[in-house]
Amino acid sequence: MNEFTERQMKLTWRAPKESYDVVIVGAGGHGLATAYYLATRHGITNVGVFERGYIGGGNSGRNTTIIRANYGIPAAVRFYQRSVDLYRGLEEETDRWLMHQQKGILWMAHSEAAVRAERMRAKLNTEFGAETEFVGPRQVEELCPQLDMSGGGRWPVLGASYHPQGATARHDRVVWALAEGAMERGAHVHQNTPVEGLILDGKRVAGVRTAAGNVAAGVVVSAVGGHVSRLAAMAGLRLPIRTHRLQAFVTNHYRQQFGPIVASSELFFYASQTARGEMLLGAEIDPQPSFSYRSSHDFVQHVCRRALCLLPFMSDLRVLRQWTGVCDMSPDYSPIMGRTGVPGFFITTGWGTWGFKAIPAGGEQIAELIATGETPELIAPFGLDRFARDRTMADRGSAGTH
Amino acid sequence: MTALLVNGQRVEARAGDSLLIAMLRAGLHPTGGGCLCLGGDCPNCLVTVDGVAYTRSCQVKAEAGMTVTRDHAGGEPALLSDQATWAESAAPVRHIHCDTVVIGQGESGREAAREAREAGFDVVTLDARDGQHVTGVYPGPLVVAADGGGRVLHVHPRREIVVATGAAEIQPVVSGSDLEGLVTARAAAELVAASIDLGRAVAVGEPPGELPSGSLAGHFPLGHGGWELVRFEGAGRVEAVVLRTRGDGEAAEERIECDTAVLGLGRNPRNALARMASDLPVRVVGGAATEPELPPCPGEGTVCPCSGVTVADLDGVWERGFHEMELLKRATLAGTGTCQGGVCLPYLRSFLLERGGRLQPAFTARPLNRQLTVRELAAGAHTAVTARSPLHDEHLRLGARMDRAGGWWRPWTYGRQDDEYRSVRERVSLGDVSSLGKMAISGPDAEAFLERIVPTRVATIRPGRCRYVLMLDERAHLLDDGMLCREADQDAGDRFFLTSTSGGSGFFELWMRDWAEAFGCDVRILNQTASLAAFNVTGPQAARLLARAGALELPAFGRHRRVRVAGVECRIVRLSFTGELSYELHHPAADARKLWRRLLEAGAAFGVQPHGLEALLRLRLEKGHIVIGQDTDYDSTPRRLAHEWAVSLDKGDFVGRRAIVRTNKQPLDKRLVMLRTDDPPPGSVEAPSAEGAAIHDGDRYAGYVTSDTGTAAGGGATMLGWLYLDAEGRLPREVTVDGRPARRVDGPTYDPQGERARAAVDVASESPENVREFPVTRLEATDVAAGAPAERPRLRRLEATRVSATPGALDALVADPLWPATALAFRTAPDELLVTATPDFEVAGDPHAIVERETAFSYVWLDGTTAERFLDRECEWRRPSARPALAQGEVAGIPAKLWFEAGRTLILTPAPFAAAFERRLTASLAEVDGDAE
Repeated sequence: MNEFTERQMKLTWRAPKESYDVVIVGAGGHGLATAYYLATRHGITNVGVFERGYIGGGNSGRNTTIIRANYGIPAAVRFYQRSVDLYRGLEEETDRWLMHQQKGILWMAHSEAAVRAERMRAKLNTEFGAETEFVGPRQVEELCPQLDMSGGGRWPVLGASYHPQGATARHDRVVWALAEGAMERGAHVHQNTPVEGLILDGKRVAGVRTAAGNVAAGVVVSAVGGHVSRLAAMAGLRLPIRTHRLQAFVTNHYRQQFGPIVASSELFFYASQTARGEMLLGAEIDPQPSFSYRSSHDFVQHVCRRALCLLPFMSDLRVLRQWTGVCDMSPDYSPIMGRTGVPGFFITTGWGTWGFKAIPAGGEQIAELIATGETPELIAPFGLDRFARDRTMADRGSAGTH
Repeated sequence: MTALLVNGQRVEARAGDSLLIAMLRAGLHPTGGGCLCLGGDCPNCLVTVDGVAYTRSCQVKAEAGMTVTRDHAGGEPALLSDQATWAESAAPVRHIHCDTVVIGQGESGREAAREAREAGFDVVTLDARDGQHVTGVYPGPLVVAADGGGRVLHVHPRREIVVATGAAEIQPVVSGSDLEGLVTARAAAELVAASIDLGRAVAVGEPPGELPSGSLAGHFPLGHGGWELVRFEGAGRVEAVVLRTRGDGEAAEERIECDTAVLGLGRNPRNALARMASDLPVRVVGGAATEPELPPCPGEGTVCPCSGVTVADLDGVWERGFHEMELLKRATLAGTGTCQGGVCLPYLRSFLLERGGRLQPAFTARPLNRQLTVRELAAGAHTAVTARSPLHDEHLRLGARMDRAGGWWRPWTYGRQDDEYRSVRERVSLGDVSSLGKMAISGPDAEAFLERIVPTRVATIRPGRCRYVLMLDERAHLLDDGMLCREADQDAGDRFFLTSTSGGSGFFELWMRDWAEAFGCDVRILNQTASLAAFNVTGPQAARLLARAGALELPAFGRHRRVRVAGVECRIVRLSFTGELSYELHHPAADARKLWRRLLEAGAAFGVQPHGLEALLRLRLEKGHIVIGQDTDYDSTPRRLAHEWAVSLDKGDFVGRRAIVRTNKQPLDKRLVMLRTDDPPPGSVEAPSAEGAAIHDGDRYAGYVTSDTGTAAGGGATMLGWLYLDAEGRLPREVTVDGRPARRVDGPTYDPQGERARAAVDVASESPENVREFPVTRLEATDVAAGAPAERPRLRRLEATRVSATPGALDALVADPLWPATALAFRTAPDELLVTATPDFEVAGDPHAIVERETAFSYVWLDGTTAERFLDRECEWRRPSARPALAQGEVAGIPAKLWFEAGRTLILTPAPFAAAFERRLTASLAEVDGDAE
């Protein structure tokens, strides 16, 4: 047995019912978190979660597991900080080992312009509760001795914004713990049961058509990743979403401890070490929209090259495995949560490259919206109607890559 | 005999030995136990070789001097390598273009290669036995492999990928399967052939076909009517195999003593490469195309040796509800190690079939099929090119600290920040703005086109005038800004010159061309960003300095004109970003250095001091000018930016107009405002420290600061920031920034009326007499067509002409050229031509053609063979096979144009990269020579 074999969770599968108070489409992190918080915070357990594949098989199982709150606009910082806080308590709350590890994130600056941008980020984040500090080269070196501070002679590290609450957690376990927590309180999760259509009662969404038959619903929540535009179209909605590939890879494990998460906007990559000791690397989304899950060599080749500028110790590590997820990008680089204008139909989407870190807060807030009928203040700025109201939440600069 | 070190112990290897065989010869099992397959399919022979962990010892030839550690997770890589400049010396990739690539050279692979060759196809074969390990098959199609000699191969098959990788042997999963002395049937044959003593060997299942008679002490077939494998017994090394009869009656165990168990447990196709490329032209042949065999559901033992997963682990997670193949994998980590499921996958499938009654498909096959190192995989890639101004070396000479900004190297400061600032405000200064995007636009629809892409009214810009313009997206969010000049000289038709910010020029050109096409506008667009250098002569003495350099006829504010300065033809534009009297001099890149030096010389009398970006950011901020990206984001409409003055809603449609009309009906929520504070910030005298700071209106959070000048000697700071309107829809006047009181101001406090920028100029008293005239001279030989291939390649500056005209007019021009026969003409785009001649011709059939001098390129001729050798190493993309042919792309990470003739090749690269390119070329050719020896 390896130490990472799952030994705690118990998933209980049940046959679908003909009707649920709440039907959630998509058993990824956000769908399951919604079910979990409906059950634990509001006692709503007549809930069915429908998944076309297996739980957490989409982006919840393909991301790079980074948790942070150092975003670029106040509403986003507050929202993600809520998520950081919920994550910190999630192991205790669920009594499950989620491999949550607070390790801090260093965002490198290699130019004077970037130094100013990172200083600005630090200031703004701290103001809204996401403690971040600009640190000079000496502190950067102390925090991460593996860094080549000369950046391969070309990308010197002039400083970094340091967000000590940056963390990672095992993505699968987060999904499973939320599934288990919802299931043991009575929620149903149905794998291999794709939702093929929505049942409309006039304009109202009244249920879903699934591979296992029609299911009536008090409300339907779309927590779909990747193909959300298709589901929304069934409700007559056009979403401002484009889907892009996002890739990542890991090396074989190595024995040194690599402390923080290291990111460089100028070199377009970030790196962290998994609990197994693998180095995990990612970068930005592919520029062309695509639903493809196909990985590319070009990605590994160029990320390796760029990463070696800062982390030359990786030269002799072998790249073990690469993979691809598809990201739903919103035009303003912020998520879309809440009502849709279609009665009975809620949505949580636009999770781009920031979905994993938002799982607990996203689920908690959507659950509150369903339970109370009121949009919580924390997510009010992220409604779909913001585009029509000219209240977009532009956050391109700090959404970055992960 | 070859000697190597294994854990400090000297081991002798025979010629041709793999590392594994050499170790077995010395009685060393690499990992201390586990069945060996010798086929690269299992993790049981992993070691660390010369610091590279997770190396399959069966796939590596034993070489003299190797240092091997029997610890596959490897020692500790050195923290920092001594590769400070390694980004420069990256290994290139070897590219091979072919019709068909055959992966695997067993029987079926050889057959497939032979058939393809006979059919007349160009075939490349890859064989793991030659060290050609394939990491992945990717869209392209692209096959990436090690070449067996430390390099990486990129094979680009036009037609087909044949996967002939054979089949792997199924490994045992029973109690004791981690003992030493277990080998697969094929491995046994290989070991015997290498004269390794197996001792008393007992075969279980299908026996090896090629063993000499008498080398097996027993043979026990499996399956119906035969035996069932129960366990291996032994301490460290196997001592006995325990089998059970498989019949209808009572099962009886039998214990067979042995030194080696030879296991023929069935085969599984090695089809991962085909599975990861299902949508590519892949054909699977031979063993790789067979149906997987399903072993019996395991009852005990290690299923996944990579991650140490046992059958009990599988049972545990199954009981917990993990019933999907992917969940089983994720919950145990089975299949996520080096062998990528090579050992465990058949057993996971039979386990799930037995428990759940459903045969589930294999988990996703992902690259990397064979793992190369980060260093190997980085081959052929370069970090992004940071563009250089033609004045790059001049800045370095003046002691500048260069900084990356907007994709360019720019002087951040010359080390005299305070004086750089004051020279602009009080005397005169030069600032390099060569990085600005620069577009020439002409055509019958030029005005109509520009009216549709900028919100400013273009019709009222008279010839010889210029105007600040915004560029918006369809949501009316600011993309870019620049200045738009209408040519004074209307003889060549109505022409415009439009600038954009440094970072935006590449995007900006594409954006304009997209809209020109979408609107169906008949325009010519010539991107002159690299062709033209530009610098700003700014400060109260700017006009006097220019007059000294011979430019007496200077444009008035808001105008531009062509003027010769120190003998260099310039377009001088008079607007101001610094707030002072400013002239922007656009001129051919080749003349930049001369003009820059000349102006510094002439300016000595006025105390001229060039300024860097740091000073510029402060100067512009004091005037409230925005910087795209720093002060703006994807919601910055002209109204929020307080730039309504740059929008004319009373003209026709333009990009973003509808969004402006729609959003104007929404209440305004925030606005970019200028703030002044009189207090110096605590603890800081100079540095801009308020960027990112929250703005408060009493207790209400009211926004944040985007730009801050920091505090000058005189105290106080100017800032730009987003300020939210209060509940009554008002913008507060008195606010706090970081707790310091600040006041919103309605315009710049520095020269509020803009009198300094608009100052009337009288240079009549200036005498340019003592100015040395610099006649226009060709800097280098221009007759490139006559250039002979050089012995030692040197890049020289090219004098040329760039033409933007309709494709038809260019067709006619190329067919009947108006330049000397010795000149070359390169069709760089359907509507663009580069000619190695002077611009003394006109384009018949297109009165709107833009014909401009082009001095931005350097060139070198290489003889055909040298060029091929160089490009084989440094060019990542496919080159044309026809001659003559033009190709464009990156070479050694530097943008280049390649002109191929029979026997020689011309390489053009932007002049500021010439030195870097020359270094790369020389180094690469030396390496090629080294390889050849």
